[in-house]
Amino acid sequence: MPLDSSTYSLAGLRVDGRRWNELRRIHGECSTQSASDGSSYFELGNTKVICTVNGPREGRRAGARDQSNAANIECEINVAGFSGVDRKRRGRTDKRIQEMCHTISSAFTGTVFTHLFPHSTITIVLHVLSQDGSLLAACLNATTLAIIDAGIPMRDYVAACTTGSTASYAANDGEADPLLDLNGLEEQELPFLTLGTSGGDDKVNVLIMETRVQMARLEAMISVGLDGCRQIRSILDGIVRAHGKKVLASKVS
Amino acid sequence: MDIDDLPSGHTNASSTVITPGETVTDDPQWMRGHGTFAPTDSTLICSTLAGTLQKTNKLLSIVPLRARYTPEIGDLVIGRIVEVQSRKWKVDVAAPLLAHLPLSSINLPGGIQRKRTSVDELNIRSYFSEGELIVAEVQSLFQSGAASLHTRSLKYGKLRNGYFLAVSGVGGGSGVVRARRQIFSIQTARGGEVDVILGVNGYIWLAKHVDEKREEVGLNRLEETASSAMYSSQNDEIGVETRQEIARIAGCVRALIEGAVKVEEETVRRAYDAAVELDDFEGGLEIPAQQRGRNIVQVVLNSG
Repeated sequence: MPLDSSTYSLAGLRVDGRRWNELRRIHGECSTQSASDGSSYFELGNTKVICTVNGPREGRRAGARDQSNAANIECEINVAGFSGVDRKRRGRTDKRIQEMCHTISSAFTGTVFTHLFPHSTITIVLHVLSQDGSLLAACLNATTLAIIDAGIPMRDYVAACTTGSTASYAANDGEADPLLDLNGLEEQELPFLTLGTSGGDDKVNVLIMETRVQMARLEAMISVGLDGCRQIRSILDGIVRAHGKKVLASKVS
Repeated sequence: MDIDDLPSGHTNASSTVITPGETVTDDPQWMRGHGTFAPTDSTLICSTLAGTLQKTNKLLSIVPLRARYTPEIGDLVIGRIVEVQSRKWKVDVAAPLLAHLPLSSINLPGGIQRKRTSVDELNIRSYFSEGELIVAEVQSLFQSGAASLHTRSLKYGKLRNGYFLAVSGVGGGSGVVRARRQIFSIQTARGGEVDVILGVNGYIWLAKHVDEKREEVGLNRLEETASSAMYSSQNDEIGVETRQEIARIAGCVRALIEGAVKVEEETVRRAYDAAVELDDFEGGLEIPAQQRGRNIVQVVLNSG
């Protein structure tokens, strides 16, 4: 089904009624599962992800000492069969999922103070309940919340979002806007990239693009993405503060 | 928020939440403690955790809302043996790394000054084997932050006759706190005495109190009599009423955790008394466990 972009050229509205620079509704919670060290639930529109973090704890292979003096971050993603449009089992060996795991663990290795926990392992487990675009971005945001909940020190939030390029740009329309936070329909049709930055100082941790786009377009897409990441960071910050306030309020001593 | 107004000391943490990446202060007079970092070439102090600010003289640190246990020297901990090696045990104490318990740091049976022999190394499983629970003290820390334990006291050693309870992962002032007394016994209403051991790592042991047989204890026999019973894995007979009282204390501890009240001797005793009183008062009324827990926490807070 081709993306219906007729309304966009007329009114500047996307398929779900957003403007080019608007995020979808974001909802997040911390400490959703008490059994793990840290956990979170994150919704980015209709993309819904549960994250649990365990550790730092001694790695599974205690005999084989890793030489590095830092914690190892492991990531595992389970995509529920009912999460997508078509019911499809995606195993752990799926190349796309493996790449997402690698991206997430390397993004957080750069931000978490792993050197404080030598010879130990931090395990991130993500469960995708529903997917509607920007899956990697949602996973990164959920992981940030869960790691903060686990009390693992990190330099700053890792906030992520996607940006895409409208179809009209390809038709030599230089004025066309880049799009922020693509949903599932847009993601299938348009070239897009996932951008993850840590903190307000625009340090890019993740930049992934699997589609092709004209080189001249990239800069505009990244600058919109950086702005989106800043917005998401402040939303995540609000979630953590609200959670912290709730925890402190329940503590009467 | 003004740092100067915050009173110094362990019990005083600010009531505002600080989040990772937030600048705590740019004043170079402060020193940075746990949970903070300084970005390269700047005098800023930034937070790395979500938590509250704590000031100790000129040292600023962030107390996380929730965190894993980090061992410190002198901590009383309860641990589970997960691995037996040739001269040491590896013990799970809910810390980032497994703790070590060297064979040389336990009281060997048969005399206080006995030298460790190769026979002891061969019989290492007869002292502690996998899955058993011990109470120990953190003797030293390795470079990596892993703890080295010792059980060289009659208070420490193998745990039996009781019930294990884990309340780990509750950081920031609630949960089990370091206190003067962490081993005590509660005189229960019907079930006799119950020993309570509150491990700083959030592991708790509730056990039937067993009187040590104190017959003909000479100074040089003391160690021997204690040691023979110390490494036994056989549980004694525990009556139904004692079991009920142990379960009641465990419920009280869970209610305290649920209510984010710190767990120490005083609060556990008060919660137990409150539970007994509420039972007498309400009799056999069916009250949801959660509501009962809240009532108990309320009584504990009011009487404190």
